[in-house]
Amino acid sequence: MVQEAIISLLQIVIFPGFLFLILAAFFYEWVDRKFVARLQNRYGPLHTGPRGLLQPFADFLKLLSKEDIIPYAADKLLFSAVPIFLLSLPLTALFCIPIINSTALISFEGDLILVIFITTIIVISVFIGAWSSTNRFSTVGGMRACLQMLGYEIPMTIAMAGPAIVAKTLSISKIVQWQTTGLWFILTQPLGFIIVTICFLAELQKIPFDIPKAETEVVAGWLTEFSGKKLALLRLAEDLELVLAGSIMASLYLGGPAGFSFMPPFVWFIIKLTVCILILSNLRALFARFRIDQLMRGVWKYLTPLALLQIILVELIPW
Amino acid sequence: MGLIKWARTKSPWLLHFNSGGCAGCDIEVVAALNPKFDIERFGMLLKGSPRHSDILVLTGPITFQIKNRLKRIYNQMPEPKFVIAIGSCAISGGVYRGCYNVHEGADKVVPVDVYVPGCPPKPEAIIDGIIKVLKNYEKATP
Ligand code: SF4
Repeated sequence: MVQEAIISLLQIVIFPGFLFLILAAFFYEWVDRKFVARLQNRYGPLHTGPRGLLQPFADFLKLLSKEDIIPYAADKLLFSAVPIFLLSLPLTALFCIPIINSTALISFEGDLILVIFITTIIVISVFIGAWSSTNRFSTVGGMRACLQMLGYEIPMTIAMAGPAIVAKTLSISKIVQWQTTGLWFILTQPLGFIIVTICFLAELQKIPFDIPKAETEVVAGWLTEFSGKKLALLRLAEDLELVLAGSIMASLYLGGPAGFSFMPPFVWFIIKLTVCILILSNLRALFARFRIDQLMRGVWKYLTPLALLQIILVELIPW
Repeated sequence: MGLIKWARTKSPWLLHFNSGGCAGCDIEVVAALNPKFDIERFGMLLKGSPRHSDILVLTGPITFQIKNRLKRIYNQMPEPKFVIAIGSCAISGGVYRGCYNVHEGADKVVPVDVYVPGCPPKPEAIIDGIIKVLKNYEKATP
């Protein structure tokens, strides 16, 4: 009884809980930066730790130790609360993803809906952060973030329903378990995978969709007024969102920790997560920024009908 | 303290500000960001917002009109912060020295830590200047 309690506590705090997830967030920020740098024929971070591996950690520490400015006109309570919201939301969602074996730490019927709901709450928190800093650039950036992220949520949710319909469950762990016996969903629903990838690029505000943060137009978008500790937490939250996006893609479409038995399931999960994050950063290096009208046309004219088509295909061909 | 000092010297973020120059220096600053010189090797990133940055990279002479804006941007940066004056114009006024509308050097307006001479200086010199700021900071703090 006591042993079980200690084990579950260790699972939540160390592995695969908080410590592991935060270290993974730092590691994948490095992977992302290094990979994009290599695609652009650069070196990327090089002198901070071995091959620049400690760069995200150095950035985090530096920001933590900097002066923390709260603008005079800002709504102080909300302004200070938003970084904490934004950090805790992706962490909560990551607990629903199966990492070490095919059952997650928190798993119940309907946790897919919870994860989708959390991505929506992230958008709302972004908007609150932008609004409470009462800066013109922040407000414009927050509006753009809402427009883009709420828009792209629609095709993403429809496409994510595909695996759920075939596996006849709304629990991510059960979808993963279904894939250990059946085919991976990337083989039967490649269209859904592509749609989810594009939507996650928009959710993460990565480069073809970095309209809310466009430096040439709105300084740093909704992040403009955040400095010091708050910016450190927000950057960590962004890295966690990247890990969350990669692990949702890996569990819904690539079978999560399932794999051949010569390696432990956890290693398979890390390999798949890395592949997904490399896809996201590769697309980031390929494109220039979209205009706002192109963004809206993309979601309503192409992605939503394609996502609906995917659902119809799933209904017609029940694999 | 050692860890924080290490973090500060390993991740300087730049804010580029042209206070009225001919854009020659700006091209060189941008060249330092390009793949050939790639200052991200040292963990440096170019940031748009003064709230995010550690080092203000100043180019061009300080005109009377931009003086107050420069001061405001400098005040918006969180401590600890550094200023680098790039090019003869930012150091002394350069070719514009004696004009009716420019200050004779950036240090008349904001405190400058390192001067990088040249018209315009090479990207290598700019990188060297930024590294010098960090070295000075490392020596100055116990
Ligand atoms: S130092 Fe030379 S290149 Fe730089 S802004 Fe002045 S005139 Fe232009």
